[in-house]
Amino acid sequence: MFRALRLKQESPKVVPEPKPLTIQEWLGDAQFPLGIRTINALPYDAKQRFYRTLVPPELLGRLGINPILWRGNGYQLELYAPEDSGKVNISLNNPEDPSDAYFVLELQDNSTNGIDLNLILLNDPFAEKFGIELDEQGTKTHWGTITRNLREEERAMRAGLAPAQVRAGMGMAREVLHQLDVFLALCARQAVSLEPLTYASAWIFERRGFAYVRGHKLMDQIHREFQPGGALRAALDGSTPFRSPEAWQTVRGRAWAIHDGILEHIGERWRDLRMIKVVGKHAAAQTFPDAKY
Amino acid sequence: MRDNLIITRAAELDALAVFRGFIAQTCKQLGIADDVSFQLQLACDEAATNVIQHGYEGMNPGSIMLELQPGPKKITMLLTDFGHPFEPVETEAPDVDALLNDRPTTGFGLYFIYQTMNDVSYFTDERGNHLVLTKNL
Amino acid sequence: MELNTTAKGDVRVVAVNGNLDALTAPELADALSTQLRQGNAKLVADLTGLEYTSSAGLRVLLNAAKEARSKGGDLRFAGVQTNVKKVLDLSGFMSIIKSFPDADSAVASYA
Repeated sequence: MFRALRLKQESPKVVPEPKPLTIQEWLGDAQFPLGIRTINALPYDAKQRFYRTLVPPELLGRLGINPILWRGNGYQLELYAPEDSGKVNISLNNPEDPSDAYFVLELQDNSTNGIDLNLILLNDPFAEKFGIELDEQGTKTHWGTITRNLREEERAMRAGLAPAQVRAGMGMAREVLHQLDVFLALCARQAVSLEPLTYASAWIFERRGFAYVRGHKLMDQIHREFQPGGALRAALDGSTPFRSPEAWQTVRGRAWAIHDGILEHIGERWRDLRMIKVVGKHAAAQTFPDAKY
Repeated sequence: MRDNLIITRAAELDALAVFRGFIAQTCKQLGIADDVSFQLQLACDEAATNVIQHGYEGMNPGSIMLELQPGPKKITMLLTDFGHPFEPVETEAPDVDALLNDRPTTGFGLYFIYQTMNDVSYFTDERGNHLVLTKNL
Repeated sequence: MELNTTAKGDVRVVAVNGNLDALTAPELADALSTQLRQGNAKLVADLTGLEYTSSAGLRVLLNAAKEARSKGGDLRFAGVQTNVKKVLDLSGFMSIIKSFPDADSAVASYA
């Protein structure tokens, strides 16, 4: 006899159900994995101590914000972490216009008790803002995923932005993701997952050490089809501003063409991708070798 | 500091040759005997084939990660994927006579892994599904 | 992997070069079953140029041997190299398949 491996029918929970802990449990076991729900059950100040690790002090320093108080220079960071919720949202908004976010980070316990990074947004407050989030009728576009503001998107593209970007980035993705690793280790957690909104974000997360739970094959296929003779390369026919013949050369160019729906030429859509980062480990996935951003 | 001995590819069959090449090259650099290198390649190939053919059923395949962790007396090979988890089941060891005579038996894949490696363990946690294969040096 | 099939009288020699794994094995399965379908049941797998095989390659060879025997023929090996021999030994294959140092002697064994 020996032991073979058979496919399991159900996905197991990766850590125990996140729940409020007693003080004895808090003090008892530094290896016990904490969920967002567990931390949210703490008193406000206690949970703020935890969540403070998520925001890079350099980012705050650059804007003149006190990294302990989370305010200064007219800015105020908001922490949304209600008790009984498995979600935390930290945001820094334009003091003049609260709907204009400079920094957003949202984490959530997921169905297998893992942690998802729902949203990460890093906009340079001093960069020009493009109106891609409202269409010409004033309806929310949800970063161009539901409807699109083509005129603003084209302006954003020409200014060097990637799809779904409202402003140029702060260039601090590395720092934020580093802090995220630190936060996860503090919580005795070993990984974080996310669903990349665009091809450009998938590439950025890949460069920061993420691997693919789903869609690695699709990313390889995209790269292949953008090579000479490929169906995506052929579809870069200049029929829209987002499908210029040179778009295959860069991450951003590809991302805009994909945002414009070019994947229909290979019978695919940009959906169902899922990525994972293991704390302290760089996966070294490479779906666009020698890429130019 | 030494580079991480880690390689990640889409869970597709063309990754098999890439993984074997990575193991061959790494073993050469580390001065590990050809025979051990061959056994690691075979075990990795069999394990990865299993994941590629069954682990990502019904979804666009994600990654399969191969990591080598050399130690003074053993080398550990870690294969990680993020698809459906497997579970160990007790089964008869395969034999060619049975296969030749149409008697039902499992394939050789996992059997080879047990024959070539000193220790085999499998578990799933929040980092994915892990097959940990250890070979004494 | 590269395949090369030649006829030596009523024996068909399929030379397998390179590596056999789950990606490449189906191609060998096609080549062997084509011969069997055409009524060529005396087969030699010339493995002189085969550097590596996983269980996926073994399965193909085993199935072909089984089918060849059911048609009154056989599948015999020639020129098995070190690493391939290790895999064959692990599986117990060598006890049920006739193996020869080279293709000529494998062909001659059918006479």
